[in-house]
Amino acid sequence: MFDLIKRYPWLPSLEEYYSDISSKDPLEFIHEVFKSDKVGFLKKRILSIFNAAFENIELIQDYAADNLNIYLYIILRILLYVLDNKSISNRIANLYSKNTYNELNEDRDYNLFKIYQDLNLEVKYEEEPIIYKKRVIKDQEEIFKTKFKIFFIDYLKLASNLKDPYRKLVNNALFEGYVYVKPKNLNRLIQEYVRIKLLTQKKINLERLKELREQLFKNPEFKDLFNEIKNLWEKKKEDFEYALDTKYKRGKDMLKTFPPCIEEILSKAEEGQNLIHIERLYILWFLNALEYPEDEIINVFSKLPDFDREKTEYQVKYAIKKGYTPYSCKSLKSYNLCRAIEKNDELCLKGYYSKTKEKQQEIYHPLRYVDVMEYRNSRKLKNSKKNLEKQNEGS
Amino acid sequence: MKDLDYLKRLFKAYYKEKPSEIPIITDFEHREFGFIPWDTKILMNRHMSFINKDSLVKFLINNGPRHVYSSGALYLKPENQEMKSKEYYGCDFIIDIDVDHFYTPCKDDHDIWYCKECGNNGRGMPEKCPKCGKSKFKTLNWICKACLNLAKNEIIKLIYDFLLPDFGISIKDIKITFSGHRGYHLKIENEKLRTLSSDERREIVDYITGENLSFENFGLQRIGENIFGFSRETLGWSQKILRKIEEILRKPNPEIEIILSNKKRFNFSGKKIENFLNFKEDFLITIKNSHRNNWTLFGFNLNDWNKFLVPIVKEIGIEIDTPVTIDIHRLIRYPGSLHGQTGFKVQELLPDEIEVFNPLDELNEKLDPIVFESDKFITQKLEIIESNIPATEMKGETHGPYSQGEIIEVPHHIAVFLLCKGVAKTI
Ligand code: SF4
Ligand SMILES: [Zn+2]
Ligand SMILES: [Zn+2]
Repeated sequence: MFDLIKRYPWLPSLEEYYSDISSKDPLEFIHEVFKSDKVGFLKKRILSIFNAAFENIELIQDYAADNLNIYLYIILRILLYVLDNKSISNRIANLYSKNTYNELNEDRDYNLFKIYQDLNLEVKYEEEPIIYKKRVIKDQEEIFKTKFKIFFIDYLKLASNLKDPYRKLVNNALFEGYVYVKPKNLNRLIQEYVRIKLLTQKKINLERLKELREQLFKNPEFKDLFNEIKNLWEKKKEDFEYALDTKYKRGKDMLKTFPPCIEEILSKAEEGQNLIHIERLYILWFLNALEYPEDEIINVFSKLPDFDREKTEYQVKYAIKKGYTPYSCKSLKSYNLCRAIEKNDELCLKGYYSKTKEKQQEIYHPLRYVDVMEYRNSRKLKNSKKNLEKQNEGS
Repeated sequence: MKDLDYLKRLFKAYYKEKPSEIPIITDFEHREFGFIPWDTKILMNRHMSFINKDSLVKFLINNGPRHVYSSGALYLKPENQEMKSKEYYGCDFIIDIDVDHFYTPCKDDHDIWYCKECGNNGRGMPEKCPKCGKSKFKTLNWICKACLNLAKNEIIKLIYDFLLPDFGISIKDIKITFSGHRGYHLKIENEKLRTLSSDERREIVDYITGENLSFENFGLQRIGENIFGFSRETLGWSQKILRKIEEILRKPNPEIEIILSNKKRFNFSGKKIENFLNFKEDFLITIKNSHRNNWTLFGFNLNDWNKFLVPIVKEIGIEIDTPVTIDIHRLIRYPGSLHGQTGFKVQELLPDEIEVFNPLDELNEKLDPIVFESDKFITQKLEIIESNIPATEMKGETHGPYSQGEIIEVPHHIAVFLLCKGVAKTI
């Protein structure tokens, strides 16, 4: 287990095996770590992670499964905590989790099994591989087999965040409560787990954060490191941080007319969270359908951790040329992107009353949502104008 | 109004005489309760909670509500008005199967609509009024043995085709209730299932309905002139589909012809059906052989295969009312309480009880939802106040159909039912 923790310091049993660390006061811990890091290896490795993350490199070059790697992970978390910057956190979480995925894929079955157990996942291991899927094309057989199966609830908890159709439960081999899955697919789910873990920090109270920062800054090495990262970020961030100015054309209230599904993706993008492919396509087609100018659309993507201006420009241009229509509510529901229930959105849930059709109409398309909202807003405006006029008449 | 008071008194009396019919559900004190009173001005009183069964029963005796609900969700503070402050910590896994939400052929006989615009009325479910063209309807849904049987079959399919074999759910964790009207609820009591989010629940819904299934994922594709299909060895939905196809192929040709030409389902033309039947024997051999899956069939393109597979999926999948499963804050009927639209008891059932359960004529007294059946043959006089009331079959007897203004004399439980439905008044 020790070796596994060195390689995967995010494992829950870190706390158990290194209880001396977890019981320590962070300041004391930082003191000790930097004191022992005479040659500056640790610092170098931490900086290289931030560098890679800011440069959109998808690999941690000098990743090593040593003791230092454990300290590195803990300091990384402390740093993210005190940096308190969602864009940075997202970038680091993406890079670190991707790296984890690569590491896992190279590991032995035995280790993987122990890792899954440590994560408290109900995973079972069969001595002989089980065939769970087969595709025959002419005389070629593509056989899918695995020794791993995972309890469906654990599978759902890991997978429902990732919306690719082939990961949906309905498209998987489910038998007696277990989903048969290759380790590689399972590892992709663990990647997501690690990403979320790095992003989830305790709620930050500003006062407390200041205090903690000041305390930690008493350690000069830490302070240096913190400032260096800040400087790096200041230099890089202009590339990503175009203000997300979605108000366009139809006035600055446009955003208010957007359905919950779009709202959610926009705020994710704003925070620099990674967007999955389908989310990207959806938002792209949606904004395009509302005739957002190219630059504005590109800027929506500018905070994403893997943003590449040229590539995005190309994709946006392509989409504009093709003029795809955005997904319907039905498709969005199938991708789990609909947020009507969670946001308890009246219009989405109950529809609207159509005067021309004389009946309650469902919202079947997000663009319909925008239309209805715009209509309502314009009515409100008219009414308030009318009221104003009336008042004037009265006085 | 006086009839509503009468029903309220009946309901109160039931709760007073039969408090033992009210079970205590798990984590009782952490549930939110909601009640719909007889007073039609009030929609629902919710955000209530009870510390024990006695206090609930007392409430029921004092108020005799029209409908009684409790949350599938568990809260630390169920009585708080705001969802956020209730402190949610889990929700039972619930599946609702209700004839109101899917098509049954006999609805054309017994579900009635009234046009609010011109007063016209008729049966079934039209898009718009054939007389005035408007679509403002009031509907009257009737109970029917055939419909209830369909709902029951869906529950049985759900358990034995999905929950047990695929999800590995243990039968002892499954609780079923007859809703007291046109459907059933199924609840799985399992700590781990309680932790699922809405999104995760939706994934399970998709699995049991077959929604968002990808044929391509299971191997359906065109390569050049050939079309390749599924393999027997692929676990999950692929196997279910193959089994269903086999079932169809084993039928005699004339029967297959009827199935495939059905406008509501496959809707294939005569030519296509002919091609299909020619290929039948070959196709049977192919789907039974795990090394073959060439589904190339003259005149059948990828589109036709999709058209063939979609109704098959629909038939295998379960007709459920999706929002009930996904919405974790929803209230559902409390077992043992009375349904205000029928006067029937919401009846708890074990999985092995449901197969012979017959809500409209149940022999096992303990499971009988018709609680207002009187021992002696007591009848009541009523006047019918709505037009075109369908026949009601209950306890082996048929009453009706009736037309507006008719004066009738019927047994007590039929009277309660007609009053609850709001189609008759006492005289
Ligand atoms: S109902 Fe449609 S518009 Fe509303 S949130 Fe869902 S997908 Fe978006
Ligand atoms: Zn009419
Ligand atoms: Zn019926």
